[in-house]
Amino acid sequence: MSKFLENTPLLYLDGVSVAFDGFKAINNLSLVVEHGEMRAIIGPNGAGKTTMMDIITGKTRPDHGTVLFEGQDLTLHDEAQIANMGIGRKFQKPTVFENHSIYDNLLLALKGSRNVFQALFSTQSTEQKQRIDEILAVIRLENRRDTLAADLSHGQKQWLEIGMLLAQDPKLLLVDEPVAGMTDAETVETAKLLREISKTRSVVVVEHDMSFIRDLDVKVTCLAEGAVLSEGSLNHVSSDPKVIESYLGR
Amino acid sequence: MITRLLQIAATTLWLLVALSYQTTIAAPANASTSELRQHINALATGKIKDKPRRIEALAQLGSNKAIAALNALIEGRLYSDKASTQVFMKHGDHFVDPLSLTAVNTTSKLKKVKANNKVRRIARAAIARLTLKSPNSEQRLQAVEVMFKAADHKLLPLIDEALEFEKEQEVKQKLLEIRAAITLQNKHASKEAQLEAIGQLRQMGSQQALGKLQAFINNSGASAAALKAADLAIKAIEKSQAIWGVFQNIWYGLSLGSVLLLAAIGLAITFGVMGIINMAHGEMVMLGAYTTFVVQEVIRTSFPGLFEYSLLIALPLAFLVAGAVGFAMERSIIRFLYGRPLETLLATWGVSLVLQQAIRSIFGPTNKEVGNPEWMSGAFELGGLMLTYNRLWILAFSLIVFAGILLVLNRSHFGLQMRAVTQNRRMAASMGIKTPWVDAFTFALGSGIAGIAGVALSQIANVSPNLGQSYIIDSFMVVVFGGVGNLWGTLVGAMSLGVANKFLEPYAGAVLAKILTLVVIILFIQKKPRGLFAQKGRAVEA
Amino acid sequence: MISQALFTRFSLGARVLIISLCVVAILVPAANLLLPPEHFAHVPSHLLPLWGKYLCYAMLALALDLVWGYCGILSLGHGAFFALGGYACGMYLMRQIGPRGVYADPVLPDFMVFLNWQELPWFWQGFDQFWFAMLMVVAVPGLLAFVFGWFAFRSRVTGVYLSIITQALTYALLLAFFRNDMGFGGNNGLTDFKDILGFSLQADTTRASLFAASALLLALVFVVCQFIVSSKLGKLMQAVNHAESRVRFTGYRVEHIKLFAFVVSAMIAGIAGALYVPQVGIINPGEFAPANSIEVVIWTAVGGRGTLLGPIIGALLVNGGKSYFTAAFPEVWLFALGALFVAVTLFLPHGLMGLFKQICTRFNKRSATAAKVTPLMKPEAAE
Repeated sequence: MSKFLENTPLLYLDGVSVAFDGFKAINNLSLVVEHGEMRAIIGPNGAGKTTMMDIITGKTRPDHGTVLFEGQDLTLHDEAQIANMGIGRKFQKPTVFENHSIYDNLLLALKGSRNVFQALFSTQSTEQKQRIDEILAVIRLENRRDTLAADLSHGQKQWLEIGMLLAQDPKLLLVDEPVAGMTDAETVETAKLLREISKTRSVVVVEHDMSFIRDLDVKVTCLAEGAVLSEGSLNHVSSDPKVIESYLGR
Repeated sequence: MITRLLQIAATTLWLLVALSYQTTIAAPANASTSELRQHINALATGKIKDKPRRIEALAQLGSNKAIAALNALIEGRLYSDKASTQVFMKHGDHFVDPLSLTAVNTTSKLKKVKANNKVRRIARAAIARLTLKSPNSEQRLQAVEVMFKAADHKLLPLIDEALEFEKEQEVKQKLLEIRAAITLQNKHASKEAQLEAIGQLRQMGSQQALGKLQAFINNSGASAAALKAADLAIKAIEKSQAIWGVFQNIWYGLSLGSVLLLAAIGLAITFGVMGIINMAHGEMVMLGAYTTFVVQEVIRTSFPGLFEYSLLIALPLAFLVAGAVGFAMERSIIRFLYGRPLETLLATWGVSLVLQQAIRSIFGPTNKEVGNPEWMSGAFELGGLMLTYNRLWILAFSLIVFAGILLVLNRSHFGLQMRAVTQNRRMAASMGIKTPWVDAFTFALGSGIAGIAGVALSQIANVSPNLGQSYIIDSFMVVVFGGVGNLWGTLVGAMSLGVANKFLEPYAGAVLAKILTLVVIILFIQKKPRGLFAQKGRAVEA
Repeated sequence: MISQALFTRFSLGARVLIISLCVVAILVPAANLLLPPEHFAHVPSHLLPLWGKYLCYAMLALALDLVWGYCGILSLGHGAFFALGGYACGMYLMRQIGPRGVYADPVLPDFMVFLNWQELPWFWQGFDQFWFAMLMVVAVPGLLAFVFGWFAFRSRVTGVYLSIITQALTYALLLAFFRNDMGFGGNNGLTDFKDILGFSLQADTTRASLFAASALLLALVFVVCQFIVSSKLGKLMQAVNHAESRVRFTGYRVEHIKLFAFVVSAMIAGIAGALYVPQVGIINPGEFAPANSIEVVIWTAVGGRGTLLGPIIGALLVNGGKSYFTAAFPEVWLFALGALFVAVTLFLPHGLMGLFKQICTRFNKRSATAAKVTPLMKPEAAE
């Protein structure tokens, strides 16, 4: 079993296309993410980065192509099922439960039963409380556990959202522009945080901030017009003439 | 149903006669006035079973001056003075002389001249025969229609006589048809005559012709060939009627659709383009209808001659009134609620309550009478279709309004600004467009359109403070069904909902048809939440 | 012990409400039955059904708040569930009339005899049993809400679209119940009830009992709602309200959460309707009118949605005001109601409870005493 899993890539996209009203947002895209790998994705606006995440998480159905997660066809499942299979997603705009405390945010996200009736009668166990405390430490919000999420700064919301994803304990984390709107210090911290997370699970990061990508120091995929333009180390990709042409500029 | 039609026909006939009395009076009147008066007075004498004879005698004189008296007899307005044996017609609250039509003062006790259904039928046929000699072809045609229903074989010589003189092709055709109907009733007619008559009735193809043919099959011992021909004719008529029935349903459906379109088109702008849920939209329609009422009142009291133009005058006024109210609403309430659709819904509902109550306080809770100008009333036949002018006008009007809105949106400078603001508000603002004003005027435009819809609806609906309420849900359904933000969708949505409703009605009844349409739309919205003509795209973050 | 555990979940305001409802349930009937009419504290008999009606409205507003205030689903058709519960109860009361009707038919209600019906339709069977009717009071609205919600939430109809189709739902039911063929008394509805469980509806004791039952059931429903909203599920409901997609990507089935809230809410509305009918003595299709359902929304908004106390306060205040205005200045009532809609949405988005909380925080700040006061409600982000 584990042998088989190690041979199968964690995420496997092949020949994926999707069009909106004739506009091809994703055009014959192929991408493979291995177990424990961290991948950075760059590309100009409209390259299809967010649409790709929509496809992986079940928000958008592809017109053609294969999308496999641990060998399972993701196109047959909806968002909630895919989330429960072990894919967590952070949105471009931080999306947390603003009217709940930080603690409650993490509690709701914590891995466990997603059944409605169990949620009605559920009580918290000591392990759950411990786990939440751990995550609070990781996202550096220990002493603000009872603050309403609405009262957090932009960067703190981003971290809270990452913390909620950790609470879900996913195998694959999709992170959409995590450092947008962050201060430089916060950006550095976030890079650290993501590297820490990637020790135990696979992470896909979409980002524009090249210094952040450099901090991450991982394999980079550059998308353009819905397809892979170039793939490899950051140095390899950023010296690729096609990438310079369409994205980085001369 | 038939009796109602007869009533309508008789009343129209009477109206026409009365209207053209001055011209008909010049028609050949062989009988002397005294002879006429004598026969008219005789109508009041004798038992009821004698009356048909007396009517015939009066009709024999061939004077169309007798028509008024006969009509009064039918309508129970004929009174006789026991003492002087004079007969008078009641007209409103006074009495008039049946021949000179001048008012008379009688102090003696008057007794109503009695009539039963048979008497009335014969009187009607007599009127028809007298009108057949009218110089006005319209009147002759209507007389023929009435005679067709009576189809008495005693009329045959009269018809033959009329056929000789008749020049008008249409009237001639009708006369031939009557002749056919009478021939079929005559058991002693020759087989050839019967076959010819059947052929003519088949060509006529109306419900009445169907009735005559069926009667022929049911009660005569006619030859097998004639029976077979009649049977074939019935089948042919039924088939063509079924086809016309489909067209009639489509017509009714389009007519309903045009009403829905009118009610929804303003909403397509405020809801579809701006995304504002305006629950007071129906009240804008109501304001338009009440504007029409006020315009007609002013015309009635001050400028009676302008009545025919009342709707044309009301249109711009209704647009301004509803538009101004809409403008005020947007400036004072809605602009504070952009981005909060549910709150907008509640606030505008509050406005709708206030507007309803305001109208109720000013005009009272009862229905107001809004008159139809001449050009909006009446109906005409097109093949087997019965089309009323007011519905036809409203259909045309709704399409004109639709085209006008399309033009404004796609061709005018204001439309360009409006589209710019809906697509990218901040960009539009930075290009120097005054977005708050564009919002206000767009909302005013949508409201104004609702106002002119009210002018049209005042012609077919009850004008009461609740007028708007009955359209609001339907309008929303149309816009949502057609696809929000798509005017063509609104057009298609309105028309298809109208037609679907009318096709369901014969099977399910009016109320159930409406319920079914609602249920279908509810299911449809769940299948395609963005409507028929939805814009696709990367879904917005919910 | 469980009740104690439950009680710790309650804020001060909630405890005050529960206790006062219980007190009212005892004192008001007592003041009606035991005190002589000339006594200053005597409650006249005609006020009992009126006040009972207000309590039913409060329960209906509470039901709406559960879906609107907590789950963000603005239903403009909750009157439909209320009316269905009312009809279920009315059918029981009709069957109780028995041979005492005008036509004295032992089984058929008067309107069926009038329509020349020969036998009881199948859907009227069983309503002579009180327990069956009470089961239907929750089952029918619950089932309708389940079917409707299952379709709507599964295909992700949200926001104003949902509001509009809930309104269409109650409108369709309005039209349907107006038809004589439906078998629910058509235009006239169900009325002329005689007794409930063998007690005459005209008797003061019955009226007092019904009032007490309304107050106690309202308290019970309040406790149940409090239990729901303070559970993890309740937190999920509020999470759905503010970040539906986050809930979905966290692995919860948003449609199940919404469906649960919607069905429970419809059942509460059904109970409210069932209590309403014996007290006002009639149920007719007018209860399905979309305008009624929208009025419930304003009760909830006035009190403050997203709190459980708010809708109860709002319903009592607005309906009290309505009774006063329609008697004193009938012309003015709709103006006042309309203005209320506008004013609340513009100036009081969180209702009276929000206003109260605002005053509290300002007072706390000023009096700089660091004493930590348990907040009565959690602040809501603007929609």
